Amino acid sequence: MSARVPRLLLPFVVAAYLGLLAPLVVVIAVSFGASAAFEFPPRSLTLFWFEAFFASQAFVNAFFRVSLVVGLLAAALATVLGTSAALGLVRFRFAGREVLETFFLAPLLVPEILLGAALYLFYARLAIQASIWTLLWGHLIICTPYVIRSVTAGLVGLDPRLEEAAMSLGATRVQAFFKVALPLLRSSLLSGAIFAFIISFSDINLALFLSGPESTSLPVHIFSQIQWQGDPTIAAASSLQIVIIGILILTVQRIFRLRLVV
Amino acid sequence: MDGARARPIWAFLTGPYALFLLFLLLVPFANVAMYSLHTYSPTKVFLPELTFDNYRKIFDLYYVRLFARTLRLGLITTAACVVLGYPLAYFLARARPRVQALGLFLLVMPLMVSAVIRIFGWIVILGRKGLVNQTLVALGLEPVKLLYNETAVVIGLVNIFVPFMVLPIMASIERVPPNLEEAAQNLGANWYRMFWRVILPLSVPGLISGCLLVYSLSISAFVTPALMGNARERMAGQQIYDEVLVSFNWPSASSLALTLVLLTVALMFGALFATRHASRRETAR
Repeated sequence: MSARVPRLLLPFVVAAYLGLLAPLVVVIAVSFGASAAFEFPPRSLTLFWFEAFFASQAFVNAFFRVSLVVGLLAAALATVLGTSAALGLVRFRFAGREVLETFFLAPLLVPEILLGAALYLFYARLAIQASIWTLLWGHLIICTPYVIRSVTAGLVGLDPRLEEAAMSLGATRVQAFFKVALPLLRSSLLSGAIFAFIISFSDINLALFLSGPESTSLPVHIFSQIQWQGDPTIAAASSLQIVIIGILILTVQRIFRLRLVV
Repeated sequence: MDGARARPIWAFLTGPYALFLLFLLLVPFANVAMYSLHTYSPTKVFLPELTFDNYRKIFDLYYVRLFARTLRLGLITTAACVVLGYPLAYFLARARPRVQALGLFLLVMPLMVSAVIRIFGWIVILGRKGLVNQTLVALGLEPVKLLYNETAVVIGLVNIFVPFMVLPIMASIERVPPNLEEAAQNLGANWYRMFWRVILPLSVPGLISGCLLVYSLSISAFVTPALMGNARERMAGQQIYDEVLVSFNWPSASSLALTLVLLTVALMFGALFATRHASRRETAR
């Protein structure tokens, strides 16, 4: 059947992928280029900008002390919150279940920039100072729906009778979940957690409002460096993010169906 | 055992995230709604006097232009995403499993990289000494100014949001059995006629939900217009950012944010409904 797809389609497909991938390819190439003028294609290769990245206090802080920490915490907490919410939604029937289900997807419907502004104004009213915690609470809102989605997809494919069998053999409900269901849900849990990490790690819209001077996340620091016309250290930092995210997406694709999460 | 069954376990399971959303999503937006009804004061940020002025102001020429520009750029972006995204969605929906897996990876990977990084890539490509201008100079032509105008903003927005168009269309094309295409072609329709009469009508739910998604994402964009656009031709997201963080006119920012959020949430619910409606019809069949 794919033989019947008209040839006219291919140029569109190639053009779309070129457009999608060109900026990433250019960023990676520039990060290895010797010129400070964002030269593409680079005339000679160097690791200078990566050295500059690790030598820059601001970049290292944004990457390792803020983005990585917030991302890992957000992934862990979102996995707990999201798994428990998905269990409640899939395994129980109660009045208002559909409303709750829609409510749990609401964070994906609200534009992030407006959510960021709303949280900023809310924190300001309560006189809460910006820190990695204000950023973490914000990220938890937008990360958890991805865990809910992936765990829901996993739970739907899991026969509840397995847990019932364990319970009839004397396990309590909690034991049945942790010893029977959880190991079988491993891959959907892991892909939910990975997506939660990615969403937090690459978020800029919330972080623009919720990062403080001591808690500038990597994307926000890159944003201000672009505005101040920085050097290809930006490209080196970006390349590191691209590689990390590429590996993580590849992992999700290996262990679980990508489309059930996205 | 009976006592345990009577306990609403679902409430313990869904409660934590529900409470979390209540306090960090609903309450903050209620706070925004409240700010939007207060009077602005340059010295105290806001005065406890109720007013509708912040909403009336949206009809001032400056804000009408701002919203008109925002909605127009959103429309252009959406149209461009359809043109680029539809063929890709069809290709992916009908590709062999391996090609599809690779194609999905190459679609989702860029989507997950921070928007600011992809915009940075475009700035390098379109900049004064960027790839495009270097090529022009090498060909003996004058370099052109490609950045900091509306075209650049649209290029950036399309690049960032095209996956949101592809994924729902692809899902709805996949629901059309391939032998339906073969049947139409065996009955004498050529590919284009078959596409027009079979695939396109059946993929309308995905198309609608993709368009609503891309439109509501692009009218609330901030990073792309801030880095690739002209400072005088701003979009609504930039105005809100400035009024919150630079000019501290929180009542005005709140009225703009609430207007935009109601608009986009309505559009997003439309998208959600279009997808659900399609999958219901599917199960009913």
